[in-house]
Amino acid sequence: MSIKASEISDLIKSRIEKFQSTTEARNVGTVVTVTDGICRVHGLADARYGEMLEFPGNTFGLALNLEQDSVGAVVLGEYKHITEGDTVKTTNRILEVPVGPELLGRVVDALGQPIDGKGPIKSSRQAPIERVAPGVIFRKSVSQPVQTGYKAVDSMVPVGRGQRELIIGDRQTGKTALAIDTIINQKGSGVKCIYVAIGQKQASIANVVRKLEENGAMAHTIVVAASASVPAAMQYLAPYSGCTMGEYFMDNGEDALIIYDDLTKQAWAYRQISLLLKRPPGREAYPGDVFYLHSRLLERSARVNAEYVEKATGGKVKGKTGSLTGLPIIETQAGDVTAFVPTNVISITDGQIFLETDLFNAGIRPAMNAGISVSRVGGAAQTDIIKRLGGGIRLALAQYRELAAFSQFASDLDEATRKQLERGVRVTEVMKQKQYAPMSVAEMALSIYAVNSGYMDKVERNKVVAFEVALQAFARSNHAASIKAINDKPVLKEHEATLKKICEDFVATGAY
Amino acid sequence: MAEKTTIARPYAKAVFALAREQGKLDAWLKTLVRAATVVTDTRVEPLLSNPRVTPAGLADLVVDIAGGGLDETGRNFFKVLAANRRLGYLPEIAAIFAHLKSEAERSIDVTVTSAVLLSADQQKKLAAAVEKRLARTVRLHSKLDPSLIGGAVLRAGDLVIDGSLKGRLDRLESELASG
Repeated sequence: MSIKASEISDLIKSRIEKFQSTTEARNVGTVVTVTDGICRVHGLADARYGEMLEFPGNTFGLALNLEQDSVGAVVLGEYKHITEGDTVKTTNRILEVPVGPELLGRVVDALGQPIDGKGPIKSSRQAPIERVAPGVIFRKSVSQPVQTGYKAVDSMVPVGRGQRELIIGDRQTGKTALAIDTIINQKGSGVKCIYVAIGQKQASIANVVRKLEENGAMAHTIVVAASASVPAAMQYLAPYSGCTMGEYFMDNGEDALIIYDDLTKQAWAYRQISLLLKRPPGREAYPGDVFYLHSRLLERSARVNAEYVEKATGGKVKGKTGSLTGLPIIETQAGDVTAFVPTNVISITDGQIFLETDLFNAGIRPAMNAGISVSRVGGAAQTDIIKRLGGGIRLALAQYRELAAFSQFASDLDEATRKQLERGVRVTEVMKQKQYAPMSVAEMALSIYAVNSGYMDKVERNKVVAFEVALQAFARSNHAASIKAINDKPVLKEHEATLKKICEDFVATGAY
Repeated sequence: MAEKTTIARPYAKAVFALAREQGKLDAWLKTLVRAATVVTDTRVEPLLSNPRVTPAGLADLVVDIAGGGLDETGRNFFKVLAANRRLGYLPEIAAIFAHLKSEAERSIDVTVTSAVLLSADQQKKLAAAVEKRLARTVRLHSKLDPSLIGGAVLRAGDLVIDGSLKGRLDRLESELASG
């Protein structure tokens, strides 16, 4: 494609015509020191907290420390060209990012600028990145589910729309995999997804984007990327930018899901900024406001009522509730959940999914520890069928864990105990699930029903997975209509007989 | 720079309060500016950190050169500064003192940088306009900078009013570069 010289000059001409040349009166200061992206600026007496500052060379900064004679500011982006003595001006603006459906399918940086090479984003709306969370009057309790597509999660730690559910675990335990599968499973459910990558390798981010594209999930997803190579200021701001993009959907009466991957690295970036700004260090050298850093972010995940949506859209959208579900991720070091940031985020969220290295290595994937993973509000949002069947799963696993420890000492076990142990083993097997293979509600219900009702008790323990795969395939080919009926109306009472019939038909074929 | 002002501020405030009580603001400003010139002199500067020179000796030196007509309290001020080894902060103290004095008198120093020399009439008009905008009496200082091409830049403290051709071209440049 060739560009004609006249086109460029026409473009410049129109720009010049539009250029407003008013004499500007602005508050200015001079750069005193530049240290790793932090500038100390003398003067700027009128600068306000969080205001954008203009540095030379089309660079912007954020005023974070207002002191008696100077202002401490973080530079957003490249800072190598800023030198001592440079003039800094106030802009009377706060930091804003573009929002709207135009961002779906795109990869943007922490300031909402596209970095995927697909051209500019034609969004006309901007919203400030820091916003106060909706108040109690406008909130509605969680009542609709977010299906992650994982049997283990949806049956035992259900997530509702508007909930904040923490995914916590060591490195290499499948935290990101769980999050990505959840995004993939939102295809067709109308839930818009935002994936915020903080402090990750560029290669990992590219990998996630490719996987989302391969699974057709990019169309309903925005990726906000602040990789390990971008300045700490961008890594600190990325979650807030992503949250603002998600809030747009919530405000318009839609459902959105945001994943912060991961908040440990954001806390690191913020710690770096704070120490360079000479704020006093506290526990683990984090600044005093690291709890507020995460609480104000996660508090913005909410389910809002119809009045709020009506007010936010100026009466355009009526009678619809909005939600922003938050799935923050925290990486622990050697399973230590008592470190500063993990305890903070555990206490802020509405529950947590614990992923463990030992389980992962034992082949139990997702490596969720069912005993300590909880969801404090999701139960209200579970579908009836999964709620009723899932109760049995939790109980069977709890009993199994208790007996498994006890039975190691006893060689002779009575019939009842042995049965419970066998059932526990099978339930554990059934809870295993492959990556990129999310299940529908009906499929989950079938698997759980089969194991709960004892259809797998006679199957050898290493054949359980094969049995389940064959059962699903059988149901898909022979009972597609029933599966669809369950998905359309997931109430156990109406479908128990159907599930029983599928299981019995399948066992009768003996094709496993 | 910022740290130095932080140290100098309490001294400047104290001496300002003292001068105000005595009603000798102008005389004090002159003394402070003179003393600041003394301590920044290349022959005096090394003495400030020289351990062989006693604080009392330093105070006497500064008072002898700069402190013409100082009373007992005035001399004591320099002695306190010397005893605390803060004589080197005199330039900052003088600057803050001048600022406090302007605030008290509701006046302000305004620097006009223009591309061509301003006539007396133009200066008067400009001063009147700035006086109206800032609601203060204005002391106008003019500077010449041909690189501005045309127009003028007004600077009053941290406030800058840029009406120069160069400033407009800069803004046009960043507007075009921002995409």
